[in-house]
Amino acid sequence: MTAVTRPPITSFPRGHTFARASFSLDAAAVRAYLDAVGDANDYGASIPPLAVIAFALRELQASVSLPDGALHTGQEVEHEAVVRVGAPLTMQAVVAQRSERQGFVITVVEIVVEQDRVPALRARTTIMAPAGGGA
Amino acid sequence: MTDGSSLTREITQGRIDAYAEASGDHNPIHVDPAFAATTPFGGPIAHGMLVLALIGEVMYRDHGDAWSAGGRLKVRFKAPTRPGARVTASAIFVRETDGAREYAVQCADDAGEVLIEGRASVPAAARP
Repeated sequence: MTAVTRPPITSFPRGHTFARASFSLDAAAVRAYLDAVGDANDYGASIPPLAVIAFALRELQASVSLPDGALHTGQEVEHEAVVRVGAPLTMQAVVAQRSERQGFVITVVEIVVEQDRVPALRARTTIMAPAGGGA
Repeated sequence: MTDGSSLTREITQGRIDAYAEASGDHNPIHVDPAFAATTPFGGPIAHGMLVLALIGEVMYRDHGDAWSAGGRLKVRFKAPTRPGARVTASAIFVRETDGAREYAVQCADDAGEVLIEGRASVPAAARP
Protein backbone atom coordinates (compact mmCIF):
# COMPACT_ATOMS: atom_id res chain seq x y z
CA MET A 1 0.00 0.00 0.00
CA THR A 2 1.26 3.46 -0.85
CA ALA A 3 1.17 5.94 1.98
CA VAL A 4 -0.85 9.00 1.09
CA THR A 5 -0.66 12.20 3.07
CA ARG A 6 -4.07 13.64 3.68
CA PRO A 7 -4.51 17.08 5.21
CA PRO A 8 -6.10 17.08 8.65
CA ILE A 9 -9.71 18.15 9.02
CA THR A 10 -8.48 21.04 11.15
CA SER A 11 -6.74 22.63 8.14
CA PHE A 12 -9.84 23.37 6.09
CA PRO A 13 -11.51 26.79 6.27
CA ARG A 14 -15.21 27.43 6.52
CA GLY A 15 -16.79 27.12 3.10
CA HIS A 16 -14.32 24.57 1.78
CA THR A 17 -16.03 22.12 -0.53
CA PHE A 18 -14.53 18.66 -0.73
CA ALA A 19 -14.38 16.75 -3.97
CA ARG A 20 -17.57 14.90 -4.75
CA ALA A 21 -17.22 11.18 -4.06
CA SER A 22 -19.10 8.30 -5.64
CA PHE A 23 -19.65 5.00 -3.92
CA SER A 24 -22.13 2.22 -3.41
CA LEU A 25 -22.70 -0.19 -0.56
CA ASP A 26 -22.98 -3.86 -1.36
CA ALA A 27 -24.71 -6.45 0.77
CA ALA A 28 -21.44 -7.64 2.32
CA ALA A 29 -20.49 -4.17 3.50
CA VAL A 30 -23.93 -3.61 4.98
CA ARG A 31 -23.86 -7.03 6.65
CA ALA A 32 -20.45 -6.28 8.19
CA TYR A 33 -21.82 -3.00 9.53
CA LEU A 34 -24.93 -4.63 10.99
CA ASP A 35 -22.87 -7.40 12.59
CA ALA A 36 -20.46 -4.86 14.08
CA VAL A 37 -23.15 -2.73 15.68
CA GLY A 38 -25.27 -5.77 16.57
CA ASP A 39 -28.38 -4.51 14.79
CA ALA A 40 -30.93 -7.35 14.54
CA ASN A 41 -33.51 -5.51 12.42
CA ASP A 42 -34.42 -6.88 8.99
CA TYR A 43 -33.73 -4.03 6.60
CA GLY A 44 -34.40 -6.07 3.47
CA ALA A 45 -32.76 -4.32 0.53
CA SER A 46 -32.44 -1.02 2.38
CA ILE A 47 -29.53 0.38 4.35
CA PRO A 48 -29.86 1.92 7.81
CA PRO A 49 -29.47 5.70 7.46
CA LEU A 50 -26.73 5.87 10.08
CA ALA A 51 -24.83 3.21 8.16
CA VAL A 52 -24.95 5.39 5.08
CA ILE A 53 -23.58 8.31 7.10
CA ALA A 54 -20.84 6.10 8.58
CA PHE A 55 -19.78 5.05 5.08
CA ALA A 56 -20.02 8.64 3.82
CA LEU A 57 -17.63 9.65 6.59
CA ARG A 58 -15.33 6.85 5.43
CA GLU A 59 -15.40 8.34 1.94
CA LEU A 60 -14.59 11.75 3.39
CA GLN A 61 -11.56 10.27 5.13
CA ALA A 62 -10.17 9.28 1.75
CA SER A 63 -9.19 12.94 1.35
CA VAL A 64 -9.08 14.12 4.95
CA SER A 65 -7.32 12.78 8.01
CA LEU A 66 -8.57 12.93 11.55
CA PRO A 67 -5.79 13.89 13.95
CA ASP A 68 -5.12 11.43 16.74
CA GLY A 69 -7.48 12.28 19.54
CA ALA A 70 -10.17 13.75 17.30
CA LEU A 71 -13.66 13.31 18.72
CA HIS A 72 -17.07 13.16 17.14
CA THR A 73 -19.12 15.48 19.33
CA GLY A 74 -22.39 15.96 17.47
CA GLN A 75 -24.49 14.48 14.70
CA GLU A 76 -27.59 15.57 12.84
CA VAL A 77 -29.25 13.55 10.10
CA GLU A 78 -32.27 14.19 7.90
CA HIS A 79 -33.54 11.19 5.98
CA GLU A 80 -35.15 12.02 2.65
CA ALA A 81 -35.38 8.59 1.04
CA VAL A 82 -34.70 4.95 1.74
CA VAL A 83 -31.19 4.09 0.53
CA ARG A 84 -30.96 0.78 -1.31
CA VAL A 85 -28.19 -1.81 -1.23
CA GLY A 86 -26.08 -1.47 -4.37
CA ALA A 87 -27.53 1.87 -5.46
CA PRO A 88 -25.04 4.38 -6.90
CA LEU A 89 -24.48 7.12 -4.36
CA THR A 90 -22.63 10.40 -4.45
CA MET A 91 -21.50 12.44 -1.51
CA GLN A 92 -20.78 16.14 -1.30
CA ALA A 93 -19.26 17.59 1.86
CA VAL A 94 -18.71 21.21 2.87
CA VAL A 95 -17.10 22.79 5.92
CA ALA A 96 -20.08 24.67 7.32
CA GLN A 97 -18.42 26.01 10.47
CA ARG A 98 -14.94 26.19 11.91
CA SER A 99 -13.92 27.64 15.25
CA GLU A 100 -11.05 27.32 17.72
CA ARG A 101 -11.37 27.07 21.45
CA GLN A 102 -8.93 26.11 24.17
CA GLY A 103 -6.50 24.41 21.83
CA PHE A 104 -9.12 22.54 19.87
CA VAL A 105 -10.57 23.11 16.43
CA ILE A 106 -14.29 22.47 16.11
CA THR A 107 -15.34 21.68 12.57
CA VAL A 108 -18.89 21.17 11.35
CA VAL A 109 -19.12 19.31 8.06
CA GLU A 110 -22.37 19.27 6.12
CA ILE A 111 -22.83 16.19 3.98
CA VAL A 112 -25.42 15.48 1.33
CA VAL A 113 -25.72 11.93 0.02
CA GLU A 114 -27.57 11.58 -3.26
CA GLN A 115 -29.13 8.44 -4.66
CA ASP A 116 -30.18 8.53 -8.29
CA ARG A 117 -29.10 12.20 -8.26
CA VAL A 118 -31.71 13.03 -5.63
CA PRO A 119 -30.80 13.87 -2.02
CA ALA A 120 -31.41 10.87 0.20
CA LEU A 121 -29.66 11.99 3.37
CA ARG A 122 -28.40 15.25 4.77
CA ALA A 123 -26.07 15.31 7.74
CA ARG A 124 -24.13 17.71 9.94
CA THR A 125 -21.17 16.16 11.69
CA THR A 126 -19.29 18.01 14.42
CA ILE A 127 -15.69 17.01 15.04
CA MET A 128 -13.42 18.39 17.75
CA ALA A 129 -9.70 17.88 17.16
CA PRO A 130 -6.50 19.14 18.72
CA ALA A 131 -5.32 22.33 17.01
CA GLY A 132 -2.20 21.65 14.97
CA GLY A 133 -2.87 17.94 14.96
CA GLY A 134 -1.51 16.21 11.89
CA ALA A 135 -2.45 13.07 10.07
CA MET B 1 -46.58 1.81 18.56
CA THR B 2 -45.54 2.57 22.10
CA ASP B 3 -44.67 5.83 23.81
CA GLY B 4 -41.32 4.48 24.84
CA SER B 5 -38.93 1.90 23.55
CA SER B 6 -35.43 0.78 24.39
CA LEU B 7 -32.76 -1.84 23.91
CA THR B 8 -29.60 -2.71 25.82
CA ARG B 9 -26.31 -3.96 24.39
CA GLU B 10 -22.80 -4.42 25.69
CA ILE B 11 -20.18 -2.45 23.80
CA THR B 12 -17.15 -4.70 23.88
CA GLN B 13 -13.69 -3.97 22.53
CA GLY B 14 -14.37 -6.70 19.98
CA ARG B 15 -17.42 -4.81 18.79
CA ILE B 16 -15.39 -1.59 18.61
CA ASP B 17 -12.70 -3.35 16.56
CA ALA B 18 -15.34 -4.84 14.25
CA TYR B 19 -16.91 -1.43 13.78
CA ALA B 20 -13.49 0.04 12.93
CA GLU B 21 -13.07 -2.61 10.23
CA ALA B 22 -16.59 -2.16 8.85
CA SER B 23 -16.52 1.63 8.84
CA GLY B 24 -12.85 2.22 8.07
CA ASP B 25 -12.49 4.45 11.14
CA HIS B 26 -9.28 3.23 12.75
CA ASN B 27 -8.72 6.28 14.95
CA PRO B 28 -6.30 4.98 17.61
CA ILE B 29 -8.40 6.40 20.40
CA HIS B 30 -10.80 3.55 19.60
CA VAL B 31 -8.53 0.66 18.68
CA ASP B 32 -5.05 1.28 20.10
CA PRO B 33 -4.98 0.74 23.88
CA ALA B 34 -1.41 2.03 24.19
CA PHE B 35 -2.27 5.29 22.45
CA ALA B 36 -5.62 5.61 24.17
CA ALA B 37 -3.91 5.27 27.54
CA THR B 38 -2.07 8.53 26.83
CA THR B 39 -5.27 10.49 26.26
CA PRO B 40 -7.43 12.13 28.93
CA PHE B 41 -9.74 9.10 28.64
CA GLY B 42 -7.03 6.76 29.90
CA GLY B 43 -8.06 3.98 27.54
CA PRO B 44 -10.03 3.18 24.40
CA ILE B 45 -13.50 4.57 23.83
CA ALA B 46 -16.15 3.47 21.37
CA HIS B 47 -16.89 5.28 18.14
CA GLY B 48 -19.76 7.68 18.64
CA MET B 49 -21.46 6.34 15.52
CA LEU B 50 -21.29 2.80 16.89
CA VAL B 51 -23.17 3.78 20.03
CA LEU B 52 -25.53 6.04 18.10
CA ALA B 53 -26.45 3.06 15.92
CA LEU B 54 -28.45 1.72 18.88
CA ILE B 55 -30.79 4.70 18.62
CA GLY B 56 -31.15 4.12 14.90
CA GLU B 57 -31.94 0.49 15.61
CA VAL B 58 -34.69 1.42 18.09
CA MET B 59 -36.23 3.97 15.73
CA TYR B 60 -36.24 1.56 12.77
CA ARG B 61 -37.63 -1.25 14.90
CA ASP B 62 -40.54 1.00 15.93
CA HIS B 63 -41.14 2.92 12.69
CA GLY B 64 -39.67 0.91 9.82
CA ASP B 65 -39.18 2.71 6.53
CA ALA B 66 -40.96 5.79 7.89
CA TRP B 67 -37.76 6.30 9.86
CA SER B 68 -35.46 5.59 6.94
CA ALA B 69 -37.40 7.76 4.49
CA GLY B 70 -38.42 10.70 6.66
CA GLY B 71 -36.75 10.56 10.06
CA ARG B 72 -34.79 13.34 11.69
CA LEU B 73 -32.10 12.98 14.34
CA LYS B 74 -30.06 15.52 16.26
CA VAL B 75 -27.78 14.40 19.08
CA ARG B 76 -24.78 15.41 21.14
CA PHE B 77 -22.16 12.95 22.27
CA LYS B 78 -21.92 13.88 25.93
CA ALA B 79 -19.59 11.28 27.42
CA PRO B 80 -17.29 8.54 26.17
CA THR B 81 -18.42 4.92 26.02
CA ARG B 82 -15.79 2.57 27.34
CA PRO B 83 -15.34 -1.09 26.37
CA GLY B 84 -17.48 -3.33 28.53
CA ALA B 85 -20.21 -0.73 29.04
CA ARG B 86 -23.79 -1.96 28.89
CA VAL B 87 -25.58 0.74 26.97
CA THR B 88 -29.32 1.28 26.94
CA ALA B 89 -30.72 3.26 24.03
CA SER B 90 -34.17 4.70 24.49
CA ALA B 91 -36.71 6.75 22.56
CA ILE B 92 -39.48 8.37 24.60
CA PHE B 93 -42.39 10.09 22.88
CA VAL B 94 -42.49 13.80 23.65
CA ARG B 95 -45.12 15.41 21.44
CA GLU B 96 -46.67 15.58 18.03
CA THR B 97 -46.10 18.84 16.21
CA ASP B 98 -45.79 20.14 12.65
CA GLY B 99 -46.77 16.77 11.25
CA ALA B 100 -44.09 14.85 13.11
CA ARG B 101 -43.90 12.68 16.21
CA GLU B 102 -40.97 13.81 18.29
CA TYR B 103 -38.96 11.58 20.65
CA ALA B 104 -36.36 12.28 23.29
CA VAL B 105 -33.56 9.86 22.55
CA GLN B 106 -30.57 8.91 24.60
CA CYS B 107 -27.97 6.29 25.30
CA ALA B 108 -26.96 5.73 28.91
CA ASP B 109 -24.73 3.24 30.69
CA ASP B 110 -25.63 1.05 33.64
CA ALA B 111 -24.41 3.71 36.04
CA GLY B 112 -26.95 6.10 34.57
CA GLU B 113 -24.43 8.33 32.84
CA VAL B 114 -25.89 9.83 29.67
CA LEU B 115 -23.58 9.13 26.76
CA ILE B 116 -25.67 10.48 23.90
CA GLU B 117 -28.68 12.75 24.11
CA GLY B 118 -30.95 14.44 21.61
CA ARG B 119 -34.19 14.40 19.66
CA ALA B 120 -35.55 12.25 16.85
CA SER B 121 -38.73 12.57 14.85
CA VAL B 122 -40.72 10.66 12.28
CA PRO B 123 -43.56 11.88 10.05
CA ALA B 124 -46.82 11.61 11.97
CA ALA B 125 -48.71 10.45 8.91
CA ALA B 126 -46.47 7.41 8.73
CA ARG B 127 -47.53 6.15 12.16
CA PRO B 128 -48.64 2.50 11.96
